[in-house]
Amino acid sequence: MRSDPMIEIENLSIKLGGLPRVDDFSLSVPKGAFHGLLGPNGAGKTTVLRALYRAQKPDNGIVRINGKPLSTWSQAAWMRTVGALVQDGGSLQGLTIRDVVEIGMMNLPLSAGERDARIAEALQIAGLAEMAQAEAALVSGGERQKTHIAQILARAPEVYILDEPSNHLDLCYQILLLDEIKRRGKTVIATFHDLTLAARYCDTMTLMRGGRHIVTGTPEDVLTQDNMAEVFRVKGQLENGMMRIVSAIT
Amino acid sequence: MRCQFKLTILAVIILIVAMLAGVFFGTADVTWADRWAALTGAPDAPRTLSLILWQWRMPRVLVVAIVGASLALAGVMMQTVLHNPLADPYLMGLSSGASAAAVGAILWLPSWVASTLGVPLIAFLGAVGAFVLTLGLSYRRGTMMSPLVVILAGVAVSLMFQSMTAFFLYVGDPHATRTALGWLMGTAAGATWSELWLPLAALCGVTVFALSRAQNLDALLLGDERATALGVPVRGLRVVVFCAVALLAGLSVAIVGIVGFVGLIVPHMARLLVGGRHLALIPFSLILGALVLVVVDLMCRVMLAPEEMPLGVLLAIFAAPPFILILRRVRHAF
Repeated sequence: MRSDPMIEIENLSIKLGGLPRVDDFSLSVPKGAFHGLLGPNGAGKTTVLRALYRAQKPDNGIVRINGKPLSTWSQAAWMRTVGALVQDGGSLQGLTIRDVVEIGMMNLPLSAGERDARIAEALQIAGLAEMAQAEAALVSGGERQKTHIAQILARAPEVYILDEPSNHLDLCYQILLLDEIKRRGKTVIATFHDLTLAARYCDTMTLMRGGRHIVTGTPEDVLTQDNMAEVFRVKGQLENGMMRIVSAIT
Repeated sequence: MRCQFKLTILAVIILIVAMLAGVFFGTADVTWADRWAALTGAPDAPRTLSLILWQWRMPRVLVVAIVGASLALAGVMMQTVLHNPLADPYLMGLSSGASAAAVGAILWLPSWVASTLGVPLIAFLGAVGAFVLTLGLSYRRGTMMSPLVVILAGVAVSLMFQSMTAFFLYVGDPHATRTALGWLMGTAAGATWSELWLPLAALCGVTVFALSRAQNLDALLLGDERATALGVPVRGLRVVVFCAVALLAGLSVAIVGIVGFVGLIVPHMARLLVGGRHLALIPFSLILGALVLVVVDLMCRVMLAPEEMPLGVLLAIFAAPPFILILRRVRHAF
């Protein structure tokens, strides 16, 4: 079953302001896999994810989730299947932390009791149970990131699209929250800048540079000395599950 | 939720009391027994008083209530879809377009044209023209219509129409200019029953639409990208909301002139009391908007009686203190 593709990207090309951001990029992520998208700034990782959660229309190529092209998903089916953590700041005017989590559960066919139980559990996991009624607009960046992750945990989708999930989080919650997502065994595609964290969680990963696909494989296959030099311009490699960086290549 | 419901019921009761006060109180010196007899249509009620209450004060109170509710609802939707706490119903140049058209009509059009079409219709057409211009400047295929671009386009269109209005006033006949200035500052004097139905129908329609999209509006508070990730059709929703706001604000301007601050401040006051979720926020804002305008209109009538103050002047005086308080509370969030 693991070989059934949950996310399929074929020949994706996206231009922003006339410049190619993603160029003929293809990828297939099987059901239940935790896949990392890695690369330096401007590699096109976030643009690929934006195309996946339908915020960016491709100039070329096709994207499918669970075999269905993105344009054919209804809002209700999309809500049940896909949860995305994105890099964007709304106003959150007048919303509590609990409100933010609950808004993410719209259109889910749940009873009030089930909904409350899921929200309470997600807030507990994210360490926000005591702050449920705090104004979301006034909390710290880390607490806001935890709130948005709690929203996705409460939705419990089949596919997790995570753009920099460890952003703003302290070390403890980076591990706690990613452990929880990994434990659920659903399909995950996530971008990371912390390569040790990526190696810890990803079953497979893809290196990108200049909008193009460089290599896909297991962390051991991908985070090699040659690939690190070519893509990140650093001397270093993965050793016993930890990234050892020697120096930048100038 | 129970607390929000109780607050809404309390606001409804206060609104009813304020509307009755708006009908009962005025410059005419009459006894309470006569007032009650006139209101209930008793056969011994003074005929003049019945006329004042039923044909003058009642439609006026209802018109300002509808306009207050419309502007508050429009303000809530604008602040949500533009992610901007300073957004108001007039942001897309509606008031400036209506002003330029109305002032131009009062000062420059032959009197038979103005009287045939009526200043309200001309003002509404001006508001629609400014809205279409702003929308045209902001619209770009394939994008979600950036709130910043919409705001900048609205500012540009507003400036253009404001300068036209200033030019008309500067070169216009001084006597007609006073009439035009009176219209610009807003007044509900002379409101009639026949003026009620169109804005009431628009308000009901837009309220039903807004409540049916309450969840999607909630999602927009999380930002465009997050709302999109939740499956919300952001651009389509934004365009429909802009059209709904243009309808509400355009009709309001046409009936009572420019009434500022209600659409800006009432949504903030409502959010402080019932929170930001639209299923509670929309009904409460409607009631609060109606309440504020009914009370201010009553004060406009009685404070300098028998003279009457323009709505805009008194609203500006009363809006500043709560706005400063709200600003102190929410400034950390932005």
